[in-house]
Amino acid sequence: QEHSFKFQSSDPAGNPNFEFQQGWADLVAEKSEGAIEIEILPVGSVVEYNETLDAVAAGILDGQICDSSYWAGKDPAFGLISNPVGAWSDPEQMIDFVENGGGKELMQELLGSYGLQFIGVSTPGLEAFVSRVPLEGVDDLNGVKMRAPEGPVANVFSAAGASPVNLPSSEVYTSLDKGVVDAADYSVFSVNHQQGLNEIAPHPVYPGFHSLPLVEVSMNKTKWDALPDDMKTLLEETVKEFQQTQINGNREADEAALAEAEVDPNITVHNWSEEERAKFRKLGVAEWERIASQSPMAQKVFDTLTAHLQEKGMLE
Amino acid sequence: MELGFNLQALGIEWGTALMFGMLIALLLTGMPLAFVTLLVALIFALGWFGPMSIPLITSRVYSFVMNFVFVSVPMFVLMAAILDRSGIARDLFDAMKLFAGRVRGSVAIQTVFVSVILAAMSGIIGGEIVLLGLLALPQMLRLGYDRSLAIGVVCAGGSLGTMIPPSIVLIIYGLTANVSIGDLFTASFLPGFMLAMFYCAYILARAYLTPGAVPDIDPTPVPREEKLRLLKGLALPILVVFMVLGSIYGGIASVTEASAIGVGGVLLSTVLRGEFSYKLLRDAAMQTLATVGMIVWIGIGATAIVGVYNLMGGVDFVSGMITGISDNPTVIVLVMMAILFVLGAFLDWVGIALLTMPIFVPIITELGMDPVWFGVLFCMNMQVSFLSPPFGPAAFYLKSVAPPDISLGLIFRSLLPFIALQILAVGLLIAFPGITGR
Amino acid sequence: MTKDQREGEIDLVAITEGAARIAPEAGLMGRMVDRVAYIFAAGIVIAAAVLLMEVFLRYLLNRPTIWAHETTVFLCGLAFTFGGLYCTSRNSHIRVVLIYDWLPNGVRRVFNVIISIISAIASAFFAYAAWHMVTRAVWAPSGEIRLETTGSAWSPPTPALIKIFVFVIMILLVVQFLILAVNYARRAKG
Ligand code: NA
Ligand code: NA
Repeated sequence: QEHSFKFQSSDPAGNPNFEFQQGWADLVAEKSEGAIEIEILPVGSVVEYNETLDAVAAGILDGQICDSSYWAGKDPAFGLISNPVGAWSDPEQMIDFVENGGGKELMQELLGSYGLQFIGVSTPGLEAFVSRVPLEGVDDLNGVKMRAPEGPVANVFSAAGASPVNLPSSEVYTSLDKGVVDAADYSVFSVNHQQGLNEIAPHPVYPGFHSLPLVEVSMNKTKWDALPDDMKTLLEETVKEFQQTQINGNREADEAALAEAEVDPNITVHNWSEEERAKFRKLGVAEWERIASQSPMAQKVFDTLTAHLQEKGMLE
Repeated sequence: MELGFNLQALGIEWGTALMFGMLIALLLTGMPLAFVTLLVALIFALGWFGPMSIPLITSRVYSFVMNFVFVSVPMFVLMAAILDRSGIARDLFDAMKLFAGRVRGSVAIQTVFVSVILAAMSGIIGGEIVLLGLLALPQMLRLGYDRSLAIGVVCAGGSLGTMIPPSIVLIIYGLTANVSIGDLFTASFLPGFMLAMFYCAYILARAYLTPGAVPDIDPTPVPREEKLRLLKGLALPILVVFMVLGSIYGGIASVTEASAIGVGGVLLSTVLRGEFSYKLLRDAAMQTLATVGMIVWIGIGATAIVGVYNLMGGVDFVSGMITGISDNPTVIVLVMMAILFVLGAFLDWVGIALLTMPIFVPIITELGMDPVWFGVLFCMNMQVSFLSPPFGPAAFYLKSVAPPDISLGLIFRSLLPFIALQILAVGLLIAFPGITGR
Repeated sequence: MTKDQREGEIDLVAITEGAARIAPEAGLMGRMVDRVAYIFAAGIVIAAAVLLMEVFLRYLLNRPTIWAHETTVFLCGLAFTFGGLYCTSRNSHIRVVLIYDWLPNGVRRVFNVIISIISAIASAFFAYAAWHMVTRAVWAPSGEIRLETTGSAWSPPTPALIKIFVFVIMILLVVQFLILAVNYARRAKG
């Protein structure tokens, strides 16, 4: 092959999302007729998940496939663009924003300043919420101890009256099982279900309301610039294919898991009404404004995002 | 920048061989383990990828020291350091006299019981061996116990701290393998007790079968009031066990937080006993810093080399080699155990866990075996590493407090039967995975 | 038993008993490290107290904080990093003494000098690499100073602070290893 790249994923080997990413690498090899070979490394294999941006910039890794909110500590704008809490209720909405609503350009501006090239976007889908206690709406979150994800999501939950607790993912299962926390942000419904979380915390909220992560595929800019144009196009096109495979694959898996959960007498799946979702979104928007004030790029993300939502009539 | 050497030309096979050879050779010079691994990681980063890759090592160092789960290490060490300086363990030892009963070898049995309770309080070894070396060993020697039996009981018993939950070996395994630490703790209860019972059975066998191995039974009965007074010594240790394990299983705290609860429990005990002083806390904290520095920097060195080796594509190579050995999963597990035994003779368990688990655990999962069971198996295997020469931390700890006429050679010889019992336990866990309850 | 074998044992006593014993070869710097160590040891105790407080607030008052865990991680991260320098000054890093112990005194001194110099060189490379890490954590691409934060709800600048601290410790390690090398060499001659 002419080009050989190492991309580190933020998913562990064996995770369904990791398999979809490997599928992308296979697709690239096939479409480029072996000219580009991409090796996907599991999370933590070369550097920790929250250090890959620096590693790609330094040329240690060639690229990364990861949640962009990990870079919120470098610029709050990453936190806002990757997870504007409450903005999206469907993966296609987020992808439309990135591909046609100015998101792509923002991502490139953000990543470009660190020496990275944004290739494309994907997402595992709308995350489901795991809970031991029945939650029918925002008011029920009051006083709920929950494992909160990194990033601005914790603030929104705080505003809703919940008590976010910071726990490593390896302690989520035990802590839920023993009741150290009542609820948790973890992953999409199928993954939660497969890991047994819905059994120990039998009141999942599906579809979720809190998080639809933006997963970026990006690489070292110098190495990108050295690629011929047709190869650049090929990479961008294949990411779009990978993105559709991942979203559809996870959606099917979610539906299968949901069917299983619904017949399980111990599990009650809760679905929030539109009013409750809107209430939560409102809390989210307040948080967007707070983040926007933290950096010029965050303000730019906020302006572009709200303009897009307004245009689509999604901001009432 | 051209450095004049290109290791990449060696290919992964010879690269691996060179890396391993370099590690062993440097280790034997007496260079500190942490810097051996850091240096080899540096040489390979430079020689395989060039200078731009060295930040990978510092990035891993940073991530390693900023890990929340690792917070439990200083907590358990601090707890043991405070315990060392209080009379809690001495009173516990006296109290256990009542339970060992009037059998031959009762003081040795009593020592194992004390070990089990200390093990259920804390998650490390070291402090426990020193404590038992100061409490139990002189008493057994004075009463006329066979020297090697007494030494073996103290070292093997003191090592139980990482086999019976809580345990930092299981915590680090859970972190590396990304499996639930709570599940690991639950699964290790029975195997830990099983191992302790093996020690008791061995003591009884020696006591009743080898003439002169233990003294005759002391016929004077303990008066009732004395019994009650001794029993009090049990209260505070049980309280600490209850606080640590109770907070985990009762849903009050995460595993990491429970280690801090242990510190609180032991401190509270010293206050209740009127032993607490500023000096006690300061000395314990200073000792903790020194011990933690050693443990964490071994981990830092290991994590550095793992990162470089991963980027070289080494993990795929080694796992390919291991899975290529046989189609029989049991054979593969046995090979892994053999590798761990050998590494355990030379390296510290932290290094072993970080070097091998990223390779072994995915293989185990792929073979359809249970990673929690494998974690308990790994933990049991590391029991051997504490005792096996030439690098046997348990022996070193005991040597530091034993009478001068007890040489390291004698200690290691005394440990052989106990190593055999530990290997038996490893074998049983492989043959009957059900012992872990999984 | 040679004198050095006894020294080896004394190190082990130092490990288990915690009596502050700085290696004489570490010189003035070693004694200073020992003084400063107190702060980081206190950090561990504070970390334990913060975690205890967090459990108390969450379990009894149902009011967990957003800062307890990140504070604990930061305090322990400082202690872990400093611990490497502390053990170097105390010469208490774990080593395999299988062959080392059998070497004649003179040869062992030469080994000590060489090991210290090599370790100093390695630490210098790591200091250089840590500097790269620091530049990314302290300066934004635009060139202005912005300390990298954790990006959490509380978002303290602890990542940047720890990265700076790793850099400082790497430099101090270079100095300490060089002092050790010089003093071993002196003793070898004298
Ligand atoms: Na234990
Ligand atoms: Na050993």
